[in-house]
Amino acid sequence: MKEIIQLENISFSYGRVQAIRDLSLNLPAGIFGLLGPNGAGKTTLLKLLLGFLVPTAGKGEIMGFALSKKRKSLRRGIGYMPESECSIPGMDAVSLTAYLGELSGMPRQEAMKRAHDVLYYVGLDESRYRLVDTYSTGMKQRLKLAQALVHDPKLLLLDEPTSGMDPAGRKEMLELIQDIAKKESMNIIISSHLLPDIESTCRQVVIMNKGRIAAEESIADLKKDNFRLFEIKLVGEQAPFFKRLQALRCQVQENEKSMFKILLPAEILPTALFDAAYETGVQIRHFRQSKTTLEDAFMNVIRESDGY
Amino acid sequence: MDIREKGYSHWQGELKASRSNWLPIFFNGIKSVFKKKFAKVIFAFSGSTFVIFLLAVYVSTKPELKILSELVRLLKSDADLFKTFYSNGFLTFMLVILSIFSGADLISSDLKFKAFPLYFARPLSRTDYLLGKFSVILFYLLLFTLVPGILLLLFKMIFTGSLAVSPLLVLAILAFPLLECVFLASLTLALSILSPNTKFIQIAVFLVYMFSNNLAQILKAIFKSDRFFIISLQSNLEQLASFLFGLQPKYGYPGWLALLPPVAVSLLAFWLLSWRIKKAEARS
Repeated sequence: MKEIIQLENISFSYGRVQAIRDLSLNLPAGIFGLLGPNGAGKTTLLKLLLGFLVPTAGKGEIMGFALSKKRKSLRRGIGYMPESECSIPGMDAVSLTAYLGELSGMPRQEAMKRAHDVLYYVGLDESRYRLVDTYSTGMKQRLKLAQALVHDPKLLLLDEPTSGMDPAGRKEMLELIQDIAKKESMNIIISSHLLPDIESTCRQVVIMNKGRIAAEESIADLKKDNFRLFEIKLVGEQAPFFKRLQALRCQVQENEKSMFKILLPAEILPTALFDAAYETGVQIRHFRQSKTTLEDAFMNVIRESDGY
Repeated sequence: MDIREKGYSHWQGELKASRSNWLPIFFNGIKSVFKKKFAKVIFAFSGSTFVIFLLAVYVSTKPELKILSELVRLLKSDADLFKTFYSNGFLTFMLVILSIFSGADLISSDLKFKAFPLYFARPLSRTDYLLGKFSVILFYLLLFTLVPGILLLLFKMIFTGSLAVSPLLVLAILAFPLLECVFLASLTLALSILSPNTKFIQIAVFLVYMFSNNLAQILKAIFKSDRFFIISLQSNLEQLASFLFGLQPKYGYPGWLALLPPVAVSLLAFWLLSWRIKKAEARS
Protein backbone atom coordinates (compact mmCIF):
# COMPACT_ATOMS: atom_id res chain seq x y z
CA MET A 1 0.00 0.00 0.00
CA LYS A 2 1.33 3.43 -0.88
CA GLU A 3 2.25 5.53 2.12
CA ILE A 4 0.63 8.95 2.46
CA ILE A 5 3.11 10.08 5.10
CA GLN A 6 6.76 9.17 5.08
CA LEU A 7 8.98 10.83 7.63
CA GLU A 8 12.63 10.01 8.06
CA ASN A 9 14.61 11.07 11.14
CA ILE A 10 12.69 14.30 11.60
CA SER A 11 13.77 16.58 14.44
CA PHE A 12 12.48 19.92 15.55
CA SER A 13 13.20 22.15 18.52
CA TYR A 14 11.70 25.31 19.93
CA GLY A 15 14.92 27.00 20.94
CA ARG A 16 16.53 24.68 23.44
CA VAL A 17 13.46 22.52 23.86
CA GLN A 18 13.58 19.49 21.59
CA ALA A 19 9.95 18.87 20.61
CA ILE A 20 10.50 16.15 17.97
CA ARG A 21 13.48 13.81 18.20
CA ASP A 22 14.69 11.78 15.28
CA LEU A 23 11.16 10.73 14.38
CA SER A 24 10.52 8.28 11.56
CA LEU A 25 7.00 7.38 10.55
CA ASN A 26 5.38 5.64 7.60
CA LEU A 27 1.61 5.82 7.46
CA PRO A 28 -0.39 4.13 4.73
CA ALA A 29 -3.81 5.38 3.64
CA GLY A 30 -6.49 5.16 6.30
CA ILE A 31 -7.54 6.67 9.58
CA PHE A 32 -5.05 6.99 12.41
CA GLY A 33 -5.24 8.19 15.98
CA LEU A 34 -2.36 10.26 17.24
CA LEU A 35 -2.02 9.82 20.98
CA GLY A 36 0.35 11.09 23.57
CA PRO A 37 0.53 12.90 26.88
CA ASN A 38 0.81 16.69 27.03
CA GLY A 39 4.04 17.88 25.48
CA ALA A 40 4.56 14.62 23.57
CA GLY A 41 4.90 16.55 20.29
CA LYS A 42 1.55 15.73 18.66
CA THR A 43 0.63 19.28 17.70
CA THR A 44 4.21 20.00 16.62
CA LEU A 45 4.05 16.96 14.36
CA LEU A 46 0.80 18.22 12.78
CA LYS A 47 2.40 21.64 12.28
CA LEU A 48 5.37 20.01 10.60
CA LEU A 49 3.04 18.08 8.30
CA LEU A 50 1.29 21.32 7.34
CA GLY A 51 4.57 23.14 6.77
CA PHE A 52 3.91 25.69 9.55
CA LEU A 53 7.24 24.56 10.99
CA VAL A 54 10.37 23.50 9.17
CA PRO A 55 12.20 20.48 10.62
CA THR A 56 15.72 21.15 11.86
CA ALA A 57 16.80 17.74 10.57
CA GLY A 58 15.44 14.89 8.50
CA LYS A 59 13.26 14.69 5.45
CA GLY A 60 9.82 13.51 4.52
CA GLU A 61 7.05 13.30 1.99
CA ILE A 62 3.34 13.79 2.38
CA MET A 63 1.12 12.54 -0.43
CA GLY A 64 4.19 12.65 -2.65
CA PHE A 65 5.13 16.25 -1.84
CA ALA A 66 8.41 16.98 -0.12
CA LEU A 67 7.90 18.19 3.43
CA SER A 68 8.28 21.99 3.88
CA LYS A 69 9.18 22.47 0.22
CA LYS A 70 6.03 22.19 -1.88
CA ARG A 71 3.95 23.81 0.82
CA LYS A 72 1.25 25.26 -1.44
CA SER A 73 0.68 22.00 -3.33
CA LEU A 74 0.74 20.10 -0.07
CA ARG A 75 -1.78 22.32 1.68
CA ARG A 76 -4.13 22.11 -1.28
CA GLY A 77 -4.61 18.46 -0.39
CA ILE A 78 -4.86 18.89 3.38
CA GLY A 79 -7.81 19.89 5.51
CA TYR A 80 -6.83 21.08 8.97
CA MET A 81 -9.09 21.42 11.98
CA PRO A 82 -7.05 23.33 14.57
CA GLU A 83 -7.31 22.68 18.29
CA SER A 84 -7.53 26.33 19.30
CA GLU A 85 -10.74 28.28 19.04
CA CYS A 86 -10.21 30.28 15.89
CA SER A 87 -12.44 32.23 13.54
CA ILE A 88 -12.59 35.25 11.30
CA PRO A 89 -14.87 37.79 12.97
CA GLY A 90 -17.70 39.63 11.29
CA MET A 91 -18.56 36.78 8.92
CA ASP A 92 -21.41 34.31 8.88
CA ALA A 93 -20.62 30.61 8.66
CA VAL A 94 -21.43 30.22 5.00
CA SER A 95 -19.35 33.24 3.94
CA LEU A 96 -16.45 32.11 6.11
CA THR A 97 -16.50 28.55 4.78
CA ALA A 98 -16.82 29.73 1.17
CA TYR A 99 -14.02 32.28 1.71
CA LEU A 100 -11.69 29.60 3.02
CA GLY A 101 -12.70 27.35 0.12
CA GLU A 102 -11.76 30.12 -2.27
CA LEU A 103 -8.41 30.51 -0.54
CA SER A 104 -7.87 26.79 -1.13
CA GLY A 105 -8.28 27.34 -4.87
CA MET A 106 -11.98 26.74 -5.44
CA PRO A 107 -13.87 28.96 -7.89
CA ARG A 108 -16.05 31.46 -6.00
CA GLN A 109 -19.46 30.06 -6.95
CA GLU A 110 -18.37 26.48 -6.41
CA ALA A 111 -16.95 27.43 -3.01
CA MET A 112 -20.26 29.00 -2.00
CA LYS A 113 -22.25 25.95 -3.13
CA ARG A 114 -19.89 23.57 -1.40
CA ALA A 115 -19.97 25.70 1.78
CA HIS A 116 -23.72 25.16 1.99
CA ASP A 117 -23.24 21.42 1.50
CA VAL A 118 -20.58 20.94 4.17
CA LEU A 119 -22.40 23.15 6.68
CA TYR A 120 -25.50 21.02 6.12
CA TYR A 121 -23.37 17.91 6.55
CA VAL A 122 -21.90 19.03 9.90
CA GLY A 123 -25.33 20.03 11.17
CA LEU A 124 -25.06 23.82 10.92
CA ASP A 125 -27.60 24.21 8.12
CA GLU A 126 -30.06 26.22 10.18
CA SER A 127 -27.50 28.61 11.64
CA ARG A 128 -25.31 29.05 8.58
CA TYR A 129 -26.30 32.70 8.15
CA ARG A 130 -25.52 33.57 11.76
CA LEU A 131 -22.35 35.48 12.61
CA VAL A 132 -19.70 33.01 13.76
CA ASP A 133 -18.90 35.33 16.70
CA THR A 134 -22.24 34.29 18.20
CA TYR A 135 -21.63 30.54 17.90
CA SER A 136 -21.33 28.24 20.91
CA THR A 137 -18.16 26.17 21.43
CA GLY A 138 -19.81 23.08 19.96
CA MET A 139 -20.97 24.99 16.88
CA LYS A 140 -17.49 26.43 16.43
CA GLN A 141 -16.07 22.90 16.49
CA ARG A 142 -18.50 21.86 13.76
CA LEU A 143 -17.62 24.96 11.75
CA LYS A 144 -13.92 24.11 12.08
CA LEU A 145 -14.67 20.68 10.66
CA ALA A 146 -16.72 22.21 7.83
CA GLN A 147 -13.91 24.56 6.81
CA ALA A 148 -11.47 21.65 6.85
CA LEU A 149 -13.76 19.69 4.53
CA VAL A 150 -14.83 22.45 2.16
CA HIS A 151 -12.16 21.78 -0.48
CA ASP A 152 -12.56 18.00 -0.15
CA PRO A 153 -8.99 17.28 0.98
CA LYS A 154 -7.24 13.96 0.62
CA LEU A 155 -5.75 14.19 4.08
CA LEU A 156 -7.71 15.48 7.05
CA LEU A 157 -5.80 16.52 10.17
CA LEU A 158 -8.07 16.84 13.19
CA ASP A 159 -6.55 18.29 16.33
CA GLU A 160 -8.74 17.54 19.36
CA PRO A 161 -11.97 17.50 17.30
CA THR A 162 -14.33 17.01 20.26
CA SER A 163 -12.69 19.50 22.58
CA GLY A 164 -15.24 21.51 24.56
CA MET A 165 -18.27 19.67 23.16
CA ASP A 166 -21.18 18.35 25.22
CA PRO A 167 -21.77 14.56 25.18
CA ALA A 168 -24.42 14.71 22.45
CA GLY A 169 -22.32 16.99 20.28
CA ARG A 170 -19.27 14.83 20.87
CA LYS A 171 -21.18 11.74 19.80
CA GLU A 172 -22.32 13.46 16.61
CA MET A 173 -18.81 14.71 15.86
CA LEU A 174 -17.43 11.19 16.24
CA GLU A 175 -20.21 9.87 13.98
CA LEU A 176 -19.24 12.44 11.38
CA ILE A 177 -15.60 11.40 11.54
CA GLN A 178 -16.59 7.74 11.23
CA ASP A 179 -18.72 8.61 8.24
CA ILE A 180 -15.93 10.57 6.55
CA ALA A 181 -13.54 7.70 7.25
CA LYS A 182 -15.80 5.39 5.22
CA LYS A 183 -14.73 7.26 2.10
CA GLU A 184 -11.66 5.38 1.06
CA SER A 185 -10.13 8.35 -0.71
CA MET A 186 -10.01 10.37 2.51
CA ASN A 187 -7.17 9.80 4.96
CA ILE A 188 -7.54 11.06 8.49
CA ILE A 189 -5.22 11.70 11.39
CA ILE A 190 -6.93 12.49 14.68
CA SER A 191 -4.88 13.90 17.50
CA SER A 192 -6.67 13.63 20.81
CA HIS A 193 -6.24 13.26 24.53
CA LEU A 194 -9.58 11.50 24.72
CA LEU A 195 -8.80 7.84 24.27
CA PRO A 196 -12.46 6.76 23.84
CA ASP A 197 -12.68 9.16 20.88
CA ILE A 198 -9.73 7.47 19.25
CA GLU A 199 -11.01 4.02 20.11
CA SER A 200 -14.39 4.73 18.52
CA THR A 201 -13.02 6.16 15.28
CA CYS A 202 -9.65 4.56 14.55
CA ARG A 203 -8.23 1.09 14.18
CA GLN A 204 -4.63 2.20 14.09
CA VAL A 205 -2.83 4.46 16.53
CA VAL A 206 0.47 6.24 16.69
CA ILE A 207 1.53 6.93 20.26
CA MET A 208 4.02 9.70 20.86
CA ASN A 209 6.03 10.36 23.96
CA LYS A 210 8.73 12.98 24.47
CA GLY A 211 8.94 13.79 20.78
CA ARG A 212 9.39 10.18 19.68
CA ILE A 213 7.12 7.46 18.37
CA ALA A 214 6.47 5.14 21.31
CA ALA A 215 4.20 2.75 19.40
CA GLU A 216 2.61 2.46 15.98
CA GLU A 217 0.15 -0.39 15.65
CA SER A 218 -3.49 -1.41 15.61
CA ILE A 219 -5.54 -0.80 18.73
CA ALA A 220 -6.39 -4.51 18.89
CA ASP A 221 -2.72 -5.52 18.86
CA LEU A 222 -1.86 -2.84 21.33
CA LYS A 223 -4.46 -4.15 23.76
CA LYS A 224 -3.61 -7.78 23.45
CA ASP A 225 0.15 -7.52 23.18
CA ASN A 226 2.77 -7.52 25.81
CA PHE A 227 0.78 -7.53 29.03
CA ARG A 228 -2.25 -8.73 30.94
CA LEU A 229 -4.29 -6.62 33.26
CA PHE A 230 -5.36 -7.70 36.75
CA GLU A 231 -7.32 -5.95 39.43
CA ILE A 232 -6.32 -6.77 42.98
CA LYS A 233 -7.22 -5.66 46.49
CA LEU A 234 -4.48 -5.69 49.08
CA VAL A 235 -4.33 -5.85 52.81
CA GLY A 236 -1.03 -5.27 54.57
CA GLU A 237 2.20 -3.32 53.96
CA GLN A 238 2.08 -2.52 50.25
CA ALA A 239 5.50 -0.91 49.61
CA PRO A 240 7.63 -4.09 49.64
CA PHE A 241 5.06 -5.83 47.46
CA PHE A 242 5.20 -3.07 44.84
CA LYS A 243 8.99 -3.04 44.99
CA ARG A 244 8.93 -6.69 44.19
CA LEU A 245 6.47 -6.16 41.33
CA GLN A 246 8.68 -3.42 39.93
CA ALA A 247 11.53 -5.91 39.79
CA LEU A 248 9.23 -8.13 37.71
CA ARG A 249 8.60 -5.14 35.30
CA CYS A 250 4.96 -4.93 36.38
CA GLN A 251 3.17 -1.59 36.33
CA VAL A 252 0.86 -0.59 39.15
CA GLN A 253 -1.96 1.94 39.06
CA GLU A 254 -4.10 2.71 42.12
CA ASN A 255 -7.81 2.69 41.29
CA GLU A 256 -9.29 3.37 44.72
CA LYS A 257 -8.24 2.71 48.27
CA SER A 258 -6.38 -0.64 48.36
CA MET A 259 -7.61 -1.52 44.84
CA PHE A 260 -4.89 -1.65 42.21
CA LYS A 261 -4.52 -2.35 38.49
CA ILE A 262 -1.49 -4.47 37.76
CA LEU A 263 -0.10 -4.65 34.23
CA LEU A 264 1.73 -7.93 34.05
CA PRO A 265 4.22 -8.59 31.23
CA ALA A 266 2.98 -11.39 28.96
CA GLU A 267 5.91 -13.71 29.74
CA ILE A 268 5.26 -13.66 33.49
CA LEU A 269 2.66 -15.99 34.94
CA PRO A 270 -0.09 -14.55 37.18
CA THR A 271 1.07 -16.87 39.98
CA ALA A 272 4.09 -14.58 40.28
CA LEU A 273 1.76 -12.07 41.91
CA PHE A 274 0.77 -14.55 44.63
CA ASP A 275 4.43 -15.53 45.12
CA ALA A 276 5.32 -11.87 45.56
CA ALA A 277 2.46 -11.40 48.02
CA TYR A 278 3.52 -14.43 50.03
CA GLU A 279 7.14 -13.30 50.14
CA THR A 280 6.30 -9.74 51.21
CA GLY A 281 3.57 -10.66 53.67
CA VAL A 282 0.55 -9.02 52.07
CA GLN A 283 -2.84 -10.57 51.48
CA ILE A 284 -4.58 -10.50 48.15
CA ARG A 285 -8.28 -10.21 49.00
CA HIS A 286 -9.55 -9.70 45.48
CA PHE A 287 -8.08 -10.94 42.21
CA ARG A 288 -9.66 -10.54 38.80
CA GLN A 289 -8.32 -10.49 35.28
CA SER A 290 -9.61 -7.35 33.67
CA LYS A 291 -10.36 -6.43 30.07
CA THR A 292 -7.64 -4.11 28.84
CA THR A 293 -8.78 -0.77 27.55
CA LEU A 294 -6.94 1.53 25.21
CA GLU A 295 -6.14 3.66 28.23
CA ASP A 296 -4.34 0.73 29.90
CA ALA A 297 -2.47 -0.04 26.70
CA PHE A 298 -1.62 3.63 26.28
CA MET A 299 -0.32 3.91 29.86
CA ASN A 300 1.72 0.78 29.34
CA VAL A 301 3.33 2.14 26.17
CA ILE A 302 4.08 5.49 27.78
CA ARG A 303 5.62 3.88 30.86
CA GLU A 304 7.66 1.51 28.73
CA SER A 305 8.94 4.36 26.60
CA ASP A 306 9.76 6.30 29.77
CA GLY A 307 11.97 3.37 30.73
CA TYR A 308 9.99 2.03 33.69
CA MET B 1 -32.27 13.36 10.04
CA ASP B 2 -29.38 11.53 11.64
CA ILE B 3 -26.05 12.92 10.55
CA ARG B 4 -24.83 9.58 9.23
CA GLU B 5 -27.85 9.31 6.96
CA LYS B 6 -26.84 12.46 5.12
CA GLY B 7 -23.45 10.99 4.26
CA TYR B 8 -20.30 12.77 3.22
CA SER B 9 -20.07 13.59 -0.46
CA HIS B 10 -16.98 14.49 -2.43
CA TRP B 11 -16.60 17.71 -4.39
CA GLN B 12 -16.34 17.01 -8.08
CA GLY B 13 -14.41 20.12 -9.10
CA GLU B 14 -10.70 20.73 -9.38
CA LEU B 15 -8.66 23.06 -7.17
CA LYS B 16 -6.77 25.66 -9.15
CA ALA B 17 -3.22 26.75 -8.45
CA SER B 18 -3.13 30.51 -8.87
CA ARG B 19 -0.56 33.25 -8.51
CA SER B 20 -3.23 35.60 -7.24
CA ASN B 21 -4.11 33.65 -4.11
CA TRP B 22 -4.29 36.97 -2.26
CA LEU B 23 -7.31 38.14 -4.28
CA PRO B 24 -10.00 36.52 -2.07
CA ILE B 25 -8.44 38.30 0.94
CA PHE B 26 -8.56 41.57 -1.00
CA PHE B 27 -12.20 41.19 -2.04
CA ASN B 28 -13.26 40.03 1.40
CA GLY B 29 -11.43 42.96 3.02
CA ILE B 30 -13.02 45.49 0.66
CA LYS B 31 -16.46 44.10 1.44
CA SER B 32 -16.00 44.04 5.19
CA VAL B 33 -14.66 47.63 5.33
CA PHE B 34 -17.59 48.83 3.25
CA LYS B 35 -20.04 47.10 5.60
CA LYS B 36 -18.62 48.84 8.68
CA LYS B 37 -20.60 51.38 10.64
CA PHE B 38 -19.75 54.99 9.60
CA ALA B 39 -18.08 53.79 6.38
CA LYS B 40 -20.20 56.04 4.21
CA VAL B 41 -19.64 59.07 6.47
CA ILE B 42 -15.87 58.61 6.32
CA PHE B 43 -15.95 58.05 2.57
CA ALA B 44 -18.08 61.18 2.12
CA PHE B 45 -15.64 63.31 4.14
CA SER B 46 -12.66 61.81 2.30
CA GLY B 47 -14.26 62.53 -1.06
CA SER B 48 -15.30 66.07 -0.15
CA THR B 49 -11.84 67.47 -1.01
CA PHE B 50 -12.25 66.20 -4.54
CA VAL B 51 -15.64 67.92 -4.89
CA ILE B 52 -14.20 71.26 -3.72
CA PHE B 53 -11.21 71.00 -6.03
CA LEU B 54 -13.42 69.96 -8.93
CA LEU B 55 -15.45 73.07 -8.31
CA ALA B 56 -12.25 75.13 -8.16
CA VAL B 57 -11.07 73.67 -11.46
CA TYR B 58 -14.42 74.51 -13.00
CA VAL B 59 -14.39 78.05 -11.59
CA SER B 60 -10.83 78.65 -12.79
CA THR B 61 -12.01 78.01 -16.35
CA LYS B 62 -14.95 80.39 -15.92
CA PRO B 63 -13.55 83.78 -14.83
CA GLU B 64 -17.06 85.26 -14.70
CA LEU B 65 -17.88 83.11 -11.62
CA LYS B 66 -16.93 84.63 -8.29
CA ILE B 67 -17.38 81.65 -5.97
CA LEU B 68 -14.22 80.05 -4.60
CA SER B 69 -12.20 82.81 -6.25
CA GLU B 70 -9.79 82.89 -3.24
CA LEU B 71 -8.96 79.22 -3.66
CA VAL B 72 -8.69 79.62 -7.43
CA ARG B 73 -6.20 82.48 -6.99
CA LEU B 74 -3.99 80.21 -4.87
CA LEU B 75 -3.86 77.60 -7.60
CA LYS B 76 -1.55 79.49 -9.92
CA SER B 77 -0.58 76.49 -12.01
CA ASP B 78 -1.61 72.90 -12.63
CA ALA B 79 1.31 71.72 -10.48
CA ASP B 80 0.06 73.99 -7.69
CA LEU B 81 -3.45 72.66 -8.07
CA PHE B 82 -2.46 69.00 -7.80
CA LYS B 83 0.17 69.60 -5.10
CA THR B 84 -2.42 71.43 -3.01
CA PHE B 85 -5.05 68.80 -3.68
CA TYR B 86 -2.82 65.90 -2.65
CA SER B 87 -1.04 67.43 0.32
CA ASN B 88 -3.69 69.63 1.90
CA GLY B 89 -4.04 69.09 5.63
CA PHE B 90 -7.65 67.95 5.51
CA LEU B 91 -7.07 65.21 2.94
CA THR B 92 -3.99 63.95 4.80
CA PHE B 93 -6.00 63.90 8.03
CA MET B 94 -8.81 61.98 6.28
CA LEU B 95 -6.28 59.53 4.82
CA VAL B 96 -4.98 58.83 8.31
CA ILE B 97 -8.56 58.29 9.49
CA LEU B 98 -9.21 56.08 6.46
CA SER B 99 -6.06 54.03 7.21
CA ILE B 100 -7.23 53.57 10.79
CA PHE B 101 -10.74 52.71 9.65
CA SER B 102 -9.82 50.27 6.91
CA GLY B 103 -6.55 48.82 8.16
CA ALA B 104 -6.08 48.95 11.93
CA ASP B 105 -7.97 45.72 12.50
CA LEU B 106 -6.83 43.86 9.39
CA ILE B 107 -4.15 41.80 11.10
CA SER B 108 -4.86 42.63 14.74
CA SER B 109 -8.28 40.95 14.57
CA ASP B 110 -6.68 37.86 13.03
CA LEU B 111 -4.32 37.88 16.01
CA LYS B 112 -7.20 38.34 18.42
CA PHE B 113 -9.38 35.61 16.94
CA LYS B 114 -6.42 33.31 16.20
CA ALA B 115 -7.29 33.14 12.51
CA PHE B 116 -3.78 32.29 11.29
CA PRO B 117 -4.25 28.49 11.32
CA LEU B 118 -7.30 28.98 9.09
CA TYR B 119 -5.31 31.04 6.60
CA PHE B 120 -2.02 29.19 6.61
CA ALA B 121 -3.57 25.73 6.37
CA ARG B 122 -4.52 26.87 2.85
CA PRO B 123 -2.22 27.09 -0.15
CA LEU B 124 -1.39 30.63 0.89
CA SER B 125 2.12 31.98 1.39
CA ARG B 126 2.99 34.64 3.92
CA THR B 127 3.47 37.07 1.02
CA ASP B 128 -0.02 36.25 -0.32
CA TYR B 129 -1.50 36.94 3.09
CA LEU B 130 0.32 40.25 3.53
CA LEU B 131 -0.37 41.30 -0.06
CA GLY B 132 -4.08 40.60 0.43
CA LYS B 133 -4.25 42.67 3.61
CA PHE B 134 -2.03 45.44 2.22
CA SER B 135 -4.13 45.74 -0.94
CA VAL B 136 -7.26 46.45 1.13
CA ILE B 137 -5.84 49.61 2.73
CA LEU B 138 -4.11 50.62 -0.47
CA PHE B 139 -7.38 50.30 -2.40
CA TYR B 140 -9.27 52.68 -0.11
CA LEU B 141 -6.39 55.16 0.13
CA LEU B 142 -5.90 55.25 -3.65
CA LEU B 143 -9.65 55.56 -4.13
CA PHE B 144 -9.51 58.96 -2.43
CA THR B 145 -6.17 60.16 -3.81
CA LEU B 146 -5.09 58.67 -7.12
CA VAL B 147 -8.59 58.18 -8.54
CA PRO B 148 -9.78 61.75 -7.81
CA GLY B 149 -6.37 63.05 -8.97
CA ILE B 150 -6.82 61.39 -12.36
CA LEU B 151 -10.46 62.52 -12.50
CA LEU B 152 -9.40 66.11 -11.72
CA LEU B 153 -6.93 65.98 -14.59
CA LEU B 154 -9.58 64.64 -16.96
CA PHE B 155 -12.17 67.22 -15.88
CA LYS B 156 -9.59 69.98 -16.26
CA MET B 157 -8.99 68.81 -19.81
CA ILE B 158 -12.74 68.75 -20.44
CA PHE B 159 -13.37 72.19 -18.89
CA THR B 160 -10.44 73.87 -20.70
CA GLY B 161 -11.00 71.91 -23.88
CA SER B 162 -7.28 71.24 -24.13
CA LEU B 163 -5.33 68.00 -23.98
CA ALA B 164 -1.99 69.75 -23.40
CA VAL B 165 -0.45 68.44 -20.20
CA SER B 166 3.15 68.02 -19.14
CA PRO B 167 4.29 64.37 -18.93
CA LEU B 168 6.19 65.24 -15.73
CA LEU B 169 2.97 66.51 -14.20
CA VAL B 170 1.18 63.27 -15.11
CA LEU B 171 4.05 61.31 -13.60
CA ALA B 172 3.84 63.38 -10.40
CA ILE B 173 0.04 62.95 -10.31
CA LEU B 174 0.56 59.17 -10.37
CA ALA B 175 3.71 58.93 -8.24
CA PHE B 176 2.80 61.08 -5.23
CA PRO B 177 -0.42 59.30 -4.22
CA LEU B 178 1.28 55.94 -4.74
CA LEU B 179 4.17 56.90 -2.46
CA GLU B 180 1.86 58.46 0.11
CA CYS B 181 -0.56 55.54 0.14
CA VAL B 182 2.11 52.83 0.25
CA PHE B 183 3.68 54.70 3.18
CA LEU B 184 0.41 55.04 5.13
CA ALA B 185 -0.73 51.51 4.32
CA SER B 186 2.54 49.88 5.35
CA LEU B 187 2.71 51.97 8.54
CA THR B 188 -0.85 50.99 9.50
CA LEU B 189 -0.34 47.32 8.69
CA ALA B 190 2.97 47.19 10.59
CA LEU B 191 1.26 48.65 13.66
CA SER B 192 -1.69 46.29 13.16
CA ILE B 193 0.53 43.24 13.55
CA LEU B 194 1.89 44.43 16.89
CA SER B 195 -1.18 43.83 19.02
CA PRO B 196 -4.48 41.93 19.00
CA ASN B 197 -6.06 45.05 20.51
CA THR B 198 -7.49 47.03 17.60
CA LYS B 199 -8.26 50.09 19.77
CA PHE B 200 -4.59 50.27 20.68
CA ILE B 201 -3.59 50.16 17.00
CA GLN B 202 -6.09 52.88 16.10
CA ILE B 203 -4.72 55.14 18.81
CA ALA B 204 -1.12 54.31 17.83
CA VAL B 205 -1.66 55.28 14.17
CA PHE B 206 -3.33 58.52 15.18
CA LEU B 207 -0.57 59.28 17.69
CA VAL B 208 2.09 58.83 15.00
CA TYR B 209 0.26 61.42 12.92
CA MET B 210 -0.32 63.87 15.79
CA PHE B 211 2.90 63.33 17.68
CA SER B 212 5.16 63.62 14.61
CA ASN B 213 3.64 67.04 13.88
CA ASN B 214 3.84 68.24 17.45
CA LEU B 215 7.38 67.00 17.95
CA ALA B 216 8.49 68.78 14.76
CA GLN B 217 6.90 72.01 16.04
CA ILE B 218 8.62 71.67 19.42
CA LEU B 219 12.02 70.96 17.84
CA LYS B 220 11.57 73.88 15.47
CA ALA B 221 10.83 76.18 18.41
CA ILE B 222 13.90 74.97 20.34
CA PHE B 223 16.43 74.86 17.53
CA LYS B 224 14.93 77.58 15.32
CA SER B 225 15.18 75.35 12.26
CA ASP B 226 12.38 74.07 10.10
CA ARG B 227 14.49 71.09 8.99
CA PHE B 228 12.84 69.13 11.77
CA PHE B 229 9.64 69.07 9.74
CA ILE B 230 11.14 66.04 8.06
CA ILE B 231 9.82 64.02 11.00
CA SER B 232 6.32 65.46 10.66
CA LEU B 233 4.04 63.17 8.68
CA GLN B 234 1.91 66.01 7.33
CA SER B 235 4.68 68.54 6.65
CA ASN B 236 7.06 66.03 5.10
CA LEU B 237 4.34 64.89 2.71
CA GLU B 238 3.83 68.54 1.73
CA GLN B 239 7.57 68.88 1.12
CA LEU B 240 7.55 65.66 -0.91
CA ALA B 241 4.63 66.92 -3.00
CA SER B 242 6.46 70.19 -3.70
CA PHE B 243 9.51 68.21 -4.80
CA LEU B 244 7.59 65.86 -7.10
CA PHE B 245 5.50 68.65 -8.65
CA GLY B 246 8.64 70.76 -9.22
CA LEU B 247 7.59 73.56 -6.86
CA GLN B 248 9.58 75.62 -4.37
CA PRO B 249 10.06 73.52 -1.19
CA LYS B 250 8.24 74.95 1.82
CA TYR B 251 10.76 73.83 4.45
CA GLY B 252 14.50 74.29 4.78
CA TYR B 253 15.69 70.87 3.64
CA PRO B 254 16.15 69.46 0.15
CA GLY B 255 12.96 68.19 -1.47
CA TRP B 256 14.48 64.82 -2.36
CA LEU B 257 15.26 64.24 1.32
CA ALA B 258 11.49 64.16 1.93
CA LEU B 259 11.46 60.81 0.12
CA LEU B 260 13.58 59.28 2.84
CA PRO B 261 11.06 58.97 5.75
CA PRO B 262 8.23 57.35 3.73
CA VAL B 263 10.61 54.97 1.96
CA ALA B 264 12.45 54.08 5.18
CA VAL B 265 9.21 53.59 7.13
CA SER B 266 7.75 51.43 4.35
CA LEU B 267 10.87 49.24 4.17
CA LEU B 268 11.00 48.92 7.94
CA ALA B 269 7.29 48.08 8.02
CA PHE B 270 7.70 45.34 5.40
CA TRP B 271 10.61 43.85 7.29
CA LEU B 272 8.63 43.90 10.54
CA LEU B 273 5.57 42.41 8.86
CA SER B 274 7.46 39.54 7.26
CA TRP B 275 9.31 38.78 10.51
CA ARG B 276 6.17 38.83 12.66
CA ILE B 277 4.07 36.88 10.18
CA LYS B 278 6.71 34.15 9.98
CA LYS B 279 6.49 33.83 13.75
CA ALA B 280 2.70 33.89 13.64
CA GLU B 281 2.62 31.09 11.05
CA ALA B 282 4.89 28.93 13.21
CA ARG B 283 2.64 29.56 16.21
CA SER B 284 -0.51 28.72 14.21
